[in-house]
Amino acid sequence: MIVSFPPLAFILLFPLLGFLFNVFLGARRGRGAVNLIGPAAIFIPFGIALVAFVKLLTLPSGSVLSVTLWPWIYAGRFHADFALQMDALSALMTLVVSGVGAFIHLYSVGYMAHDDDFARFFAYMNLFALSMLTLVLANNLLLMFVGWEGVGLCSYLLISFWYTNAQYAYNGRKAFIVNRIGDAGFLLGIFTIVSALGSHGIWSLDFATLRDNIHLLTTATATTAAVLLFIGATGKSAQIPLYVWLPDAMVGPTPVSALIHAATMVTAGVYMVARMHFLYTLAPSAMELVAMIGAITAIFAASIAMVQPDIKRVLAYSTISQLGYMFLGVGVGAFSAGIFHVMTHAFFKALLFLCAGSVIHALDGEQDMNKMGGLRTKLPITYATMLIATLAISALPPFSGFFSKDLILESAYNSGHTGLWILGIITAAMTSFYMFRLIFMTFHGDSRVDSTKAHHIHESPQVMTIPLIVLAVMAVIGGWVGLPEGVLWGNKISQFLAPSVGNFTPVLQGGFVMLTGTSLGLALFGILLAWYFYIQAPGMPYLIAYQMQSAYNVLLNKYYIDQLYNLIVTRPLFWVSTFVLGRVVDTFMIDGIVDGAGLSVQTGGQLSRRIETGNVQQYAFVYVLGVLAIVAYYLYLVTH
Amino acid sequence: MGGGILTALVFIPLIGALFVLMQSDERSIWNSAFIFSLLPLAISFYLFFAFDPSRAGYQFVEQYPWIPQFGISYHFGVDGLSLVLVMLTTILISLSLLYSGGGDIDHRPREFCFFMLVLEMGLLGTLLAVDLLMFYVFWELMLFPMYFLIGIWGHGRPIYAAVKFVLFTMIGSFLMLAAIIYLVMLNRAHTGDLTFDLPALYNTPMTATEARWMFAAFALAFAIKVPMWPLHTWLPDAHTNAPTAGSVILAGVMLKMGTYGFLRFAIPLFPAVAIEATPLFMALAVIGIIYGALLAMVQPDLKRLIAYSSVSHLGFVMLGIFAFNLEGIDGAVYQMLGHGLSTGALFLLVGMIYLRRHTREISEYGGLWKSVPIYAAVFMFAMLSSIGLPGLNGFVGEFLIMLGSYLHSPIAVVFAVSGVILGALYMLWTYERVMFGPITKAVNETIADLSAREIATMIPLMALMIVMGLYPNFIISKMEPSIAQVLSRVHSAQVRIDTEHRQEMLAQTASLILKHTLVAIAPPADK
Amino acid sequence: MTPFNLSAIDFQWLPLLPLIAISLAAMVVLLVGVRVEDDETDGLGWLTIAALAIAFVLTFAMSGQNTTAFSGSIAIDDFAVFFQLAILFAAAVVVLMSLNYANETRLPGAEYYSLILFAALGMMLMASAGDLIIIFLGLETMSISIYVLAGLKRSDPRSNEAAIKYFLLGAFSTGFLLYGIALIYGATGTIKLEPIRVALSHGVGLSSPMLMLGVAMLLIGFGFKIAAVPFHMWTPDVYEGAPTPITAFMATGVKLAAFAGFMRVFSLHLIAVSADWSSVLWVVAALTMTIGNVVAVVQTNIKRMLAYSAIAHAGYLLVAMTAAIPAAGAAMMYYLVGYVFANLGAFGVVTALERRGEANDLISDYRGLAAREPGLAAAMAIFLLSFTGVPPLVGFIGKFYVFTAALQAGLVWLVVIAVLNAVIAAYYYIYVIVAMYMQEGGVPVSKMSLRPGLVATITIALIGTVLIGIYPQPYMTAATTAFNSALGLGPIHAASLLP
Repeated sequence: MIVSFPPLAFILLFPLLGFLFNVFLGARRGRGAVNLIGPAAIFIPFGIALVAFVKLLTLPSGSVLSVTLWPWIYAGRFHADFALQMDALSALMTLVVSGVGAFIHLYSVGYMAHDDDFARFFAYMNLFALSMLTLVLANNLLLMFVGWEGVGLCSYLLISFWYTNAQYAYNGRKAFIVNRIGDAGFLLGIFTIVSALGSHGIWSLDFATLRDNIHLLTTATATTAAVLLFIGATGKSAQIPLYVWLPDAMVGPTPVSALIHAATMVTAGVYMVARMHFLYTLAPSAMELVAMIGAITAIFAASIAMVQPDIKRVLAYSTISQLGYMFLGVGVGAFSAGIFHVMTHAFFKALLFLCAGSVIHALDGEQDMNKMGGLRTKLPITYATMLIATLAISALPPFSGFFSKDLILESAYNSGHTGLWILGIITAAMTSFYMFRLIFMTFHGDSRVDSTKAHHIHESPQVMTIPLIVLAVMAVIGGWVGLPEGVLWGNKISQFLAPSVGNFTPVLQGGFVMLTGTSLGLALFGILLAWYFYIQAPGMPYLIAYQMQSAYNVLLNKYYIDQLYNLIVTRPLFWVSTFVLGRVVDTFMIDGIVDGAGLSVQTGGQLSRRIETGNVQQYAFVYVLGVLAIVAYYLYLVTH
Repeated sequence: MGGGILTALVFIPLIGALFVLMQSDERSIWNSAFIFSLLPLAISFYLFFAFDPSRAGYQFVEQYPWIPQFGISYHFGVDGLSLVLVMLTTILISLSLLYSGGGDIDHRPREFCFFMLVLEMGLLGTLLAVDLLMFYVFWELMLFPMYFLIGIWGHGRPIYAAVKFVLFTMIGSFLMLAAIIYLVMLNRAHTGDLTFDLPALYNTPMTATEARWMFAAFALAFAIKVPMWPLHTWLPDAHTNAPTAGSVILAGVMLKMGTYGFLRFAIPLFPAVAIEATPLFMALAVIGIIYGALLAMVQPDLKRLIAYSSVSHLGFVMLGIFAFNLEGIDGAVYQMLGHGLSTGALFLLVGMIYLRRHTREISEYGGLWKSVPIYAAVFMFAMLSSIGLPGLNGFVGEFLIMLGSYLHSPIAVVFAVSGVILGALYMLWTYERVMFGPITKAVNETIADLSAREIATMIPLMALMIVMGLYPNFIISKMEPSIAQVLSRVHSAQVRIDTEHRQEMLAQTASLILKHTLVAIAPPADK
Repeated sequence: MTPFNLSAIDFQWLPLLPLIAISLAAMVVLLVGVRVEDDETDGLGWLTIAALAIAFVLTFAMSGQNTTAFSGSIAIDDFAVFFQLAILFAAAVVVLMSLNYANETRLPGAEYYSLILFAALGMMLMASAGDLIIIFLGLETMSISIYVLAGLKRSDPRSNEAAIKYFLLGAFSTGFLLYGIALIYGATGTIKLEPIRVALSHGVGLSSPMLMLGVAMLLIGFGFKIAAVPFHMWTPDVYEGAPTPITAFMATGVKLAAFAGFMRVFSLHLIAVSADWSSVLWVVAALTMTIGNVVAVVQTNIKRMLAYSAIAHAGYLLVAMTAAIPAAGAAMMYYLVGYVFANLGAFGVVTALERRGEANDLISDYRGLAAREPGLAAAMAIFLLSFTGVPPLVGFIGKFYVFTAALQAGLVWLVVIAVLNAVIAAYYYIYVIVAMYMQEGGVPVSKMSLRPGLVATITIALIGTVLIGIYPQPYMTAATTAFNSALGLGPIHAASLLP
């Protein structure tokens, strides 16, 4: 049942107000005001979201809170309102976005303490919160797209936040353009749906309307639409082939990496697929594609993460890899599992980034793990929390990651995707390997920090550590809402999400114990391997790298994908525009014809001017020619 | 009768122009010009709110005989279509005058204001004329003020640009004049009464060939104005060399006269041909979209870049028009307005920076955000509106256009969508090179940020961009009935074509059946 | 031997009053002028204007009478009146234009003004000719005066050359005209126009070689006077050499008279055989427009440029003539009126730039005129835009009228050619505007306030160019009525004449 709940609007209002304040007054009102307003603009929505969530729980399952703000686009038969809705799925996402977002805002107060552009930073952050909340609360696909591109914009603005660095600016644009490519697919998907439903007289994109009428689509149409929308998802959620922007996005301030490029925005793709689950269930082959892309991306990114020296790049690739898991989940039909992992991932990945940020902050700007090591004594809180996060992402019980990731792998196996399951568990091993590699290289062993920085390494201020602790707690307990069926209260979250994303009931093939055992075993193997390489025999990695030079370089250079894109897309595009179109067609052909016409008139004039010698006899001659012509014509008339 | 309000709207600028000529000192010239441009603005606002959206036809109509011998009448009227464009015109003219007073025009201000106001008269007349000859008169009238604006106050090669602009346009418009006369004569031959009144000519019976030729003449005139690929080459020159205000009006309003012409004349007068020509125009539109974007991407000159981007955006408009459904055409008209605002804003911004640095070379800039943050922020805003960021004006138009076209021909949209990507690419790349990165040229460190006057010029534009992005309905609802009317003519023509086609088929099958039966009854005696 | 019997001729002198007035005035001016110094001829000028004004009033009084005199040799119908009024007006404005000019350039006032009057007389005669001999008479009266006027700047070799060229070729073509008259007479047995029409309409001598050749010869004769290709070669040289006001007079008065005769003979009285001549005119029109415009593009001297533009405009007029329908006749007459105004204005400006001795008639001399003499430049711009055919100026309405007529007659392709020509024309007209408004340099202009004559000329032309464009109906009606009167149709609304 649909319950009108106007306060939803306020969830958007406060980030908006925060944004406006920071844009127009921020710089003038000064740091104090900004540090207060910036986080408040997202803490308050978090509060409202909690209230709404509780209200939703009190209502019968499947209820939807909704509010229509104003009629948006009513053109011809098509219409879309500016309306919000909160069902179980939106509620969960809203809580994650506002909750995690709130603490990251708080963290940013400390992180940006020494940056003069704090007002602009918080303006962008609030704008992002606004867009992201619009995305998850939208009640129709088009309004969702507003948020969808909005977050892309904020990502662009924040990646190139330190704009004086040309490289950062470039990375920001790269992110936006790659996302635009995905969005183009998204748009085409929308058009496909509208035109298909339009032929049945349905011209709305409300999720409710879509859900009730989606059966009108033929499988072919559904598949087309599903795939096109998924292209959008691959852009936003950094999946093959559009993942290339995310690693470069790490040049933004670390809180940004935590909030946008780990916890929230990048999961929008997963959210969208779950939101449109009714469409995807109509298109099995599209689902297969999603699952496959997910699994492949997962292992592909993980393999790169294993050799990266830059702490944030490791985390970036790990994000891509984890997103792969999520798509694997939704791809095999376990939508709730996918969303579950979105949630837990939000906790521990945000935490990981914040910790990394804390480290970088401590080493003022150093990101190369080869220049770290032995920091656990100097940064105790950071170390502890980061370790928790690492255990969580390595999917060790009872940490949150264990439950969500295991649920995904389980679902994959049980839905008969054994191949993908194998990819998944191998990735699990890689994950624990590169994560513990990170831990060991950063916090253990002897310090490799530059002497210049070594002396003033310090733990971050409380405003930064408190969020770490809060998130650490969540990273531990966050997964307990989704215990395996039959254990204690069982899988609450799937039950909660069921009305929004449907139930997942695969035929049970493998025993729970077998599956969990395998993945756990591999995870532990990864940890051991990392321990052996980076604690036991530190020389080993270099030896291997030396022996498997080429393979190592391929991984280190991320399979040369960027270079490849540059070679087959960017360069030809510019060449064609400059020479073929610019020089040949525009200047030479079209303008050539135009100017040529003018010129021919000129020359014509010059030629006939030659006759104008001023010589009377010649005039008379021409005259007589005319006479003869006319007379001849008449003679012809007469004789015929 | 409209109580002369449209007459006032069209001719107050003329009075203003003459008044300005009598002013001597520069301040009073600018002030009086600006004030005289505010009057039409006020009137157009009144029109907008007094306009009754429930009626599709012309409102505030005024009609008096002008040249009775030819059935030419002084006939003004406003409908949803022209209404919104009138708004756009009055707004942009006022803003351009406001801005130009701030130092952009450094010589012969009196003549400048004179021509600007005459130009406004021409534009408004073109939009409001219901009589074909009236329309033509104003159509030509708006050409020459612009020619002077480019030629006298332009930079670079103004004369070449101005003359190219005039000749390009004239080829089209003279042929259109011939077509207009031919059409009227045709109508007279059939109905017996001689009139240049547009509504009266809608149902002129004509042969397919005649229709094709006349449509060709009209379409050529309008396609040059739009400009559609490959008739676009006058545009970059005109824009690059025009003064800021000239570019603003040229891109903001004048190009729309082409698309307006299609919607008001070419298509409703010759719907059957228009349907016939749809594949051609869709193809040209798509080519224009991609071509314009690609060329914009590689321009070293800011104004040239925006000029080519206009080719791309107007390609979208044409695509939407030839989708021949409400969504598409609503989108097209909406995009006309949206592009007017965003491109107008961009040209103003380029003008502002040109005023400070006297160059439009992108390579001359870099890292401007540090020295002129407000400017950079405003530029960012205009850019986002131009690349169609959802929530701003550009998106609504582009979305509706592509939606409508998709209903008509998905493949066209598949190509057109790449325009959206490229649009983001060239705009962001430009922005990056101008605003981001380290300051490469020392001079750029000390340039002044926007003045109050400049900010005052931009704020209305930005406000409108937001409003149009978030609440398009208050505009769409006004224009939709009139658009529906245009569309109804196309659809009825479509129906006619279909039925004719069906009858043909029936006839053929019938004859076949007959033949066979005959054969069956009386088999041909072989051997 | 029988005594000479006056009563044999119906001697109606009343309708001839204007002609008589003009010829008397001409002699008076000549006699008075003997005692006048060459640099204070204003008095003579004003006297001439007064005479023309009187003639104007008298002529106006004739309108609507539609009588004939000398047993049909002179036709005083509205057609004649229309043209005569236009001619008298043009002559008057030319004199106005000459007032200062004649002094500055030391023209012999007496001869100058009286010759203008004599020329006007010939022109009026052509307009009201009732038979072919009168046409010849008028044509010669006009031409000889003009020959002399063209060479009146005795000191200036260009002027003398112009005169002699014009005279030689003129004489040449007069021969053709005369020969044509003779042949027509041979074919139809009369030289009176009305009987010729009647005869042809009864099929007398139709498609006889003699008639054909006669038509051809007449075509050539008139073709020369209206400067139609290929009989146009003299125009630029003569226009350039002649004193500018006289050039103006040639571009307006001579055109009016020539077309009056041309139309009276062909459009009105040889209409029955229009099939035979319109086909030729089609080609001639196309050539005239195209060559006129194309060559004009490359001119650097504004008088030569205007000469070619005059040729081109004759081409547009021939487009209407080719249509050979009543509406076309009216269209031509309206077009001519508009053309006269714009031309007088344009040449007025050209005169304004001349100073004692130096011609300053290069287009480059007009650079930056807008800065020095905004009024003058604006006026010139408007005249040129009117030539271009920019609405709502009279030139546009004229073109519109002509195209309409041509399209009624189904001359689609000729109209298309005309339209494309209009674009070429725009190019060179606009370049003068470019020079005036967008370039620097040029020559200084002597104070306009000291030259009231010119100021008046330009103002009058300006008012006409704008006003007749914005509110054309009365003039269209007048033209229509006039043309129909010659058809013997009386005043009928042209719309009812359309096919």
